[in-house]
Amino acid sequence: MINTLLSLNEATRTVNSGSNKVTLLNNINLDVKEGEFISLMGPSGSGKSTLLNCIGMLDSFTDGGYTFLGEPVHSMKEKNRSKLYKEYIGFVFQAYHLIDELNVYENIETPLLYKNVKSSERKAMVADMLDRFNIVGKKDLFPVQLSGGQQQLVGVARALIGKPKLILADEPTGNLNSKQSEEIMELFAELNKEGVTIIQATHSEKNASYGSRVINLLDGKIVSE
Amino acid sequence: MIKNYFKIAWRNLMKHKVFSLINVIGLTIGLSASFVIGLIIYYDASFDTFHKDKEQIYRVVSDFYSPDGEFSVPGVTLALEDAIKDNSNFETVSGFYIERPSKVENRENGSEFKWPNFVIFTDANYFKIFNYKFLAGDTTDLLSNPNNVILTKNRASDYFPNTSPSDIIGKTLVYNDSLNVTVTGIVENFKERSDFFFEEFISHPTLLNTRLRENIISKDWNNTNDSSQLFVKVASNANLSSIQKRFDDLAKEHQDEDSKKYGEEQVFSLQPLSDIHFNQRYGIYDWSKGQANKSLLINLSLVALFLLVLGCINFVNLNTAQASQRAKEIGIRKTLGSTRKQLIIQFMGETFLLVIVSALLSILLSKSLINVFSDFVPEGLSFELFKTPVIIFGIIILLLLVTFLSGFYPALILSRYNTVSVLKNHTAIGENKVKLRKFLTVFQFSIAQVFIIATLLVGRQITFLLETDMGFKTDAIVSVFSPRAEREISKKEIYAEKLRAIPEIKEISVGGTPPASISTNSTTVTYNDGVNEINSDLQFIFGDINYSKVFELDILAGRTIRNDTVKELVINETCMRKLGFKNPEDAIGKTVMLSDQSIPIVGVMADFFQRSLKSDVKPMALRGDWHRPDWSQFQAIHIALQSESSEGLQSTLVKIEDAYKSVYSESDDYRIEFLDETIQSFYNREQKISRLLNWATGLSILISCLGLLGLVVYTTNRRVKEIGVRKVLGASLLQINTLLCKEFLILVAVAFVIASPIAWYGISHWLQDFAYKTNISFWVFLASGLAMLFFALLIISVKTLQAANANPVESLRSE
Repeated sequence: MINTLLSLNEATRTVNSGSNKVTLLNNINLDVKEGEFISLMGPSGSGKSTLLNCIGMLDSFTDGGYTFLGEPVHSMKEKNRSKLYKEYIGFVFQAYHLIDELNVYENIETPLLYKNVKSSERKAMVADMLDRFNIVGKKDLFPVQLSGGQQQLVGVARALIGKPKLILADEPTGNLNSKQSEEIMELFAELNKEGVTIIQATHSEKNASYGSRVINLLDGKIVSE
Repeated sequence: MIKNYFKIAWRNLMKHKVFSLINVIGLTIGLSASFVIGLIIYYDASFDTFHKDKEQIYRVVSDFYSPDGEFSVPGVTLALEDAIKDNSNFETVSGFYIERPSKVENRENGSEFKWPNFVIFTDANYFKIFNYKFLAGDTTDLLSNPNNVILTKNRASDYFPNTSPSDIIGKTLVYNDSLNVTVTGIVENFKERSDFFFEEFISHPTLLNTRLRENIISKDWNNTNDSSQLFVKVASNANLSSIQKRFDDLAKEHQDEDSKKYGEEQVFSLQPLSDIHFNQRYGIYDWSKGQANKSLLINLSLVALFLLVLGCINFVNLNTAQASQRAKEIGIRKTLGSTRKQLIIQFMGETFLLVIVSALLSILLSKSLINVFSDFVPEGLSFELFKTPVIIFGIIILLLLVTFLSGFYPALILSRYNTVSVLKNHTAIGENKVKLRKFLTVFQFSIAQVFIIATLLVGRQITFLLETDMGFKTDAIVSVFSPRAEREISKKEIYAEKLRAIPEIKEISVGGTPPASISTNSTTVTYNDGVNEINSDLQFIFGDINYSKVFELDILAGRTIRNDTVKELVINETCMRKLGFKNPEDAIGKTVMLSDQSIPIVGVMADFFQRSLKSDVKPMALRGDWHRPDWSQFQAIHIALQSESSEGLQSTLVKIEDAYKSVYSESDDYRIEFLDETIQSFYNREQKISRLLNWATGLSILISCLGLLGLVVYTTNRRVKEIGVRKVLGASLLQINTLLCKEFLILVAVAFVIASPIAWYGISHWLQDFAYKTNISFWVFLASGLAMLFFALLIISVKTLQAANANPVESLRSE
């Protein structure tokens, strides 16, 4: 029996732009099972990023229901919500979004600091991660000293360090060349095999083909699956 | 976690070196000023706080009120002690009399000490009020017999070197050549800070064997001397208002007929022990030690506060301006699971690090600041005071407070960022705080502007005070004072004779103090014009026939006195008017009554300033030395020099001193004063304020301009692209510079508008102390406004010119 990780029920997000009400997401119904690898596709402005942000609890739906691991996120307090995503969700961004002032080691370590992991444990976990991604030699470098691919590798490592159930990736290869993209997508496929659920937003058919399920968005609506 | 915070804080400080430096400089200045001033306040506030039951200890002081004004004496009439001794409100009543013996001898080893200071005549009660630790001697029956003395350990080791305290007991000291006094006790000096640094306690009955015998026996209610001190320890349940009532009753009961007639009133009151160190009205026992001045302390604290606030404002301004640069980090941290609280803690941590750096620098700086501010720093204050627990605790509190003031608001702003919009690069939040930054900048510049205006106006008033004609000659006049103990005139005349042989000297006069001095000698004069009896206070200056020549006093009518001892008066115009004469000629030949003697007026001299320009001209008269040979009022030789330039001055002064030494071969008490310096010393207080203002102005301009520079650096960096585009479109250097400077100069101008009335109000308040003052002129404001504008423009231009000069190709490519 495969568990449902999250489900959206008529989820909607509208914002006020001046006097106009703009609907960014329109009655989205979506169930995500554990172990799925979903690709969100659609043109710019179709709502991919917004959907990812809302699933990631950085933004919230203005209407409709959102259940994560059986808990109703839409009626949750900010504090519990933050606890939930700290525990279960990792982010990977198009622009990597590493902290420029921290080196590779420290960037990967940061989520653990916010989870109050003990120092010795942190060391071991970060060392494992560096090992796994083959970046031990780069651990003292700062983001500016790395290539884009390497930065994204660090970004993924950082997303994984907290052992999340769900990884949300917003065009993770958007700033990378094709070889680097391939490496990152291979990595995602591998992670997915290990049981991590992944939702990615992408423009590339090729990247989408790594996933188990493709969802097409247009003007904030799911148009096809 | 903490380590991580500090690491990133440190890297951030290093990354934005200019901003960090501006912040550190601003905070360091503020903190240094606060540290030093805090030390001063702590130092002054910790005087005499160690006495047992200190809240119950009071000094009784006297205030005198009359239609001519009021004055205060720290002492009371000798009669008061007996009158209140048995009152149940008082636990202990102890009077003491301060009297400096002219000489103390230890004949055993042949040593001799002239004019020992801090000698009092007192009784056992003194030691009941103030707890001294006895090192030797019987403590059961203290100072009840005449001719006993208790010495402090320090004084004992002067008189009896290398003798243990118990061996000193029973030895004899000879006071004033004839008074044999036995040492009956040795006490330890107070180790804590105290204004009670008396060294010799002679038994009270001994006074009857001194020149003061008559005073002590008569206990005249109408004789008050500041040497006669009275301390009381009130009972713990004492009723202070009933004590005051008793005092008032006593004063009324013993008011004499003359006082009633002239409406003079005497008031006794209790001065708390804690007030003694601060209340300049009554003073402390050692005039050479600076007394704490409450208003000066308040002014100093205000300056420290302003400097600190200015530093904090820089911090708030620069950090909110910079916020968007940190937005990305904040966004990422939030997605990684940081709560807002954790972010606030992180930013506060960064602020704290910066404050710590500033604090360390400040502590180093304070060491030298204590020297720079030696005008304001009490003599005994040392850097060591930093080690006191109270100070350390205070510093920690201050640092936390500064961290909170400067860090909390930026932390709040920074942590408020919306994650999604930050990560999408919609970082518009820093922009919303432009208004706040403008407000704070205006606030900073208003303070700086107030300081500039105040500095200029105070400076002008001081120049005015020093340059106003005193009404007599003040340049190239020196006064040589005779040895303090000398009562007769003969040696002075010999000395004057010797001086006449020196060719560089133009004129010599033997007399009392110069026409303007800090000491006064006054009495009441009565004139009967046939209808009315007119009373007036009358101050005296004493001098021989040359006195008016040396000081070039302007005789309007009549003549100066005919010889040194003839009983004649030369009155000034104010006195003449007070006595009811219209013209100087009218007063000539009239007689006035001076304590039962009729004295003729032989001349009228023009008014001159007798003290600083803070006080009005009072009725005054020049008179001779009437009490010879018993007593001479002449204490000084006034010398007018031929040349007003400083050329050859040194050799003339050497000659004057040599002549002195040949006459007073045994004395080492040579005192010479330059009249112009004496007059300057009237304004020491004002000079101090002026120096303080100079510092405050300089530093506040520095901090504010640095803050402005930070903002300019920030905004021009943000507008690099705009500048590039404008240049491509053909804007000139000047046009771009104007564009960039305009918004900041407007702020400075607004600050000027706000500051001017505040400065005007403050200065007019300050000027009220002066009987004669400059007008507050319009151009001073204008000049100070322009000066501020100039400073600001200078600072801004450093950056804007650089930005305007940059090659637009570079800036447009990088965007």
